[in-house]
Amino acid sequence: MQSEMEFEVFVFEVGGQEMAFDVEHVSMVIEKPEITPVPRSKKTVLGVMNLRGRIVPVIDLSMLLGLESEQQDEKIVVVNWEEMEVSFLVNRVKGVLRCDMSEVEKLHELERFGEKSKGIIKKGEELIVYLNLERILGELIAVGEYSSEGVW
Amino acid sequence: MNEQYLSVFIDESKEYIQTLNDSLLKLEKDYEDSEAINETFRALHTLKGMSGTMGFESMSKLCHKMEQLLDRIRSKKIKLDSTMLDRLFAGVDILEKMIDSIVRKGTDQLPEVDVNEFAQGFEVLSAGKEIKENTSEQKPTQSVVSISESIEKVIAEAVNEGYNAYQMTITLSEGTQFKAVRMYMVFKAIEDHGGQILSSNPAVEDIEQEKFDRDVQLILVIKEDKESLRNMIMSISEIERVTIQDIVHAEAQKKPAEKIEEVEKKQEAKVESTKERRRITQTVRVDIDKLDNLMNLMGELVISRSRIADTLRKYSIKEVDESLSNLNRISLDLQNVVMKIRMVPIAFVFNRFPRMVRDLAKQLNKEINFIVEGEDTELDRTFVEDIGEPLLHMLRNAIDHGIESKEERLAKGKPPVGTVVLSARHEGNNVVIEVRDDGRGIDRSAVIKKAIEKGLITEAQAEALPDEKVYEFLFMPGFSTKTETTELSGRGVGLDVVKNVVESLNGTVSIESVKNKGTAITVRLPLTLAIIQALLVKINNFVYAIPIANIDSTLSITKDQIQKIQDRQVSVIRGEIIPIVRLWDILELPHQSEDSIYNTVIVRVGNRKYGLAVDTLIGQEDIVIKSLGKIFSDVRIFSGGAILGDGSIALILDVANVA
Repeated sequence: MQSEMEFEVFVFEVGGQEMAFDVEHVSMVIEKPEITPVPRSKKTVLGVMNLRGRIVPVIDLSMLLGLESEQQDEKIVVVNWEEMEVSFLVNRVKGVLRCDMSEVEKLHELERFGEKSKGIIKKGEELIVYLNLERILGELIAVGEYSSEGVW
Repeated sequence: MNEQYLSVFIDESKEYIQTLNDSLLKLEKDYEDSEAINETFRALHTLKGMSGTMGFESMSKLCHKMEQLLDRIRSKKIKLDSTMLDRLFAGVDILEKMIDSIVRKGTDQLPEVDVNEFAQGFEVLSAGKEIKENTSEQKPTQSVVSISESIEKVIAEAVNEGYNAYQMTITLSEGTQFKAVRMYMVFKAIEDHGGQILSSNPAVEDIEQEKFDRDVQLILVIKEDKESLRNMIMSISEIERVTIQDIVHAEAQKKPAEKIEEVEKKQEAKVESTKERRRITQTVRVDIDKLDNLMNLMGELVISRSRIADTLRKYSIKEVDESLSNLNRISLDLQNVVMKIRMVPIAFVFNRFPRMVRDLAKQLNKEINFIVEGEDTELDRTFVEDIGEPLLHMLRNAIDHGIESKEERLAKGKPPVGTVVLSARHEGNNVVIEVRDDGRGIDRSAVIKKAIEKGLITEAQAEALPDEKVYEFLFMPGFSTKTETTELSGRGVGLDVVKNVVESLNGTVSIESVKNKGTAITVRLPLTLAIIQALLVKINNFVYAIPIANIDSTLSITKDQIQKIQDRQVSVIRGEIIPIVRLWDILELPHQSEDSIYNTVIVRVGNRKYGLAVDTLIGQEDIVIKSLGKIFSDVRIFSGGAILGDGSIALILDVANVA
């Protein structure tokens, strides 16, 4: 029987650590395409890519989370949040995993991700960082919020 | 309530408010303008009906009271005067507020206005100044409806088209509860059957207010015969009796030959008028989102087309060349059509200004002749929402700061009435909007004094500064030369706002002024925002796009031609000192190839010019602008990105923010 506590996450590897987004926000995974850097943008933003005629930002997730970057087996995970389409550079893609809220724990040792993580998903020996996409995108936009120049 | 109807209602109401403002302004110029009176009356009447149907009672009521006043003016029972006109203007303002409130809160109730009391004011106006006692209004209901000449003509025309003309007397049952509703049903039944009511006694307005006993007489034309008309009316409940009489059209019998000719003439006129009507009604309201979507798809089509062309060029297959150029032409045409669909006449923006200028001039006790030119000029609809505010600032400036008081003007030997011209026109790929006044002009020395005060320039520099440089200070935030601030302008927001908005739309703004002769502020906007022409340039291996609209010229300059003045690199180009910036420095890119010759693009921002040194000039191309999204809102040097034919991305430089 399906419990209401159940949910699905999309699992991938970044900087040697397994991470997960809520699966409903992930729209596709592609090979790393040519990325056009955007000068004078935030350090964590690698640039923009052409995704079927749309210009989509590419975020360096390892740098955003303060992890070592591996620079191998690079894949792009495209997510949609409300009206935004954003993509993240990751190392390996694991797939979709069904889990239960009871398997999610808030761990102190992982506080370095702060609000960017909703907790840790424990699957036997495996530990997966359950990322808070809303918070991550919120931080990316917040720094760039309009300056107070507009008078009206 | 049905959302769909509500949005149509709101759109249409706004149009009627505009009509009201326009026709009232016409009336202000000529109190006797009967066409304007009729127009006002019709707009109010329709608005009343619409708001009533939608259940906005206060709005409907106010319209009704205003309409009554207009009706009395129309029938020459009272004379229009300035008090009434002001009252009517105020009424239109309240109606506008109501619509606003409906948009925001879904109700026409305004907490700050007592609509009842306000509406009552119209009643006083309507009743108070009767030209002569009008007793004919209390005509006994039994009297025959008089057939006026104009009605007679319509009857003649209708009879000719196979209609029957009847005089019908309807008697409602004793004790009918909703007499107006019953009569409405009668009217509707007739109209549903293609009939037309030409006249009624009592008048329609009185029927609506149940100001009648039980009998109503109508003159109507309809194709049905007497019997089916009677059945039709009798099928409505609470109708006691219907009598129907033929109206024999006297003229029709007397002089048939003459009449036919006349009818033909009239038919011609009618055809013309229906033609005109058709032209107006053959428009469709389209959701803006759908248009944007179409534009996006169009953009993608353009990109795909270039990609196919690029790929095929490599193989140079003769057979595809022709179809490819065909495809090129079609997609270009399509692009133009889609662009045109998005264009709206600038009248959408200009419309509200005559009213504003009138109010402002009244408030400042100035007389202004406001001239609007080129209202038909079309521009991209995305501008319509944004350009209104800057133009408002410009007009306010012209009226408040520009135009002198009457006394001052007379003392200077100018006509006492100031002229403000708002004009729009197409110029190449630009829309040029200009606000011009014949006022006092900009006081150069006052601007310089302020600039020195603010430490922007030294006294020594000021002398040599050309006028356009001096006026540029006016675009700086918090720079106002008017010493005493008025309620209207000079609140610290002024031309800097104009400049910000215009530049955010990829446009430019400039000032020309002659002391005591006047000032002209000119805004130049691109025709459309979505597809622009751009010069592609290369730095290292990345391509950047510079909008052609911002480009003055391109040239190569050698390193020796660049001099250093006060930490700035400048070059003298055709006698002008132009700052030169290296684009790779701006973009913070590592750059090795230190050529001795720079390819330089001279760009123009407002009155300012500077040169951008780049590696290579690639060429000119139509590009589709796409937003980079919120993540890049802190990167102000780019206004967006474009996908090129080979699928790569070119970032579009926002030259206003580069240097």
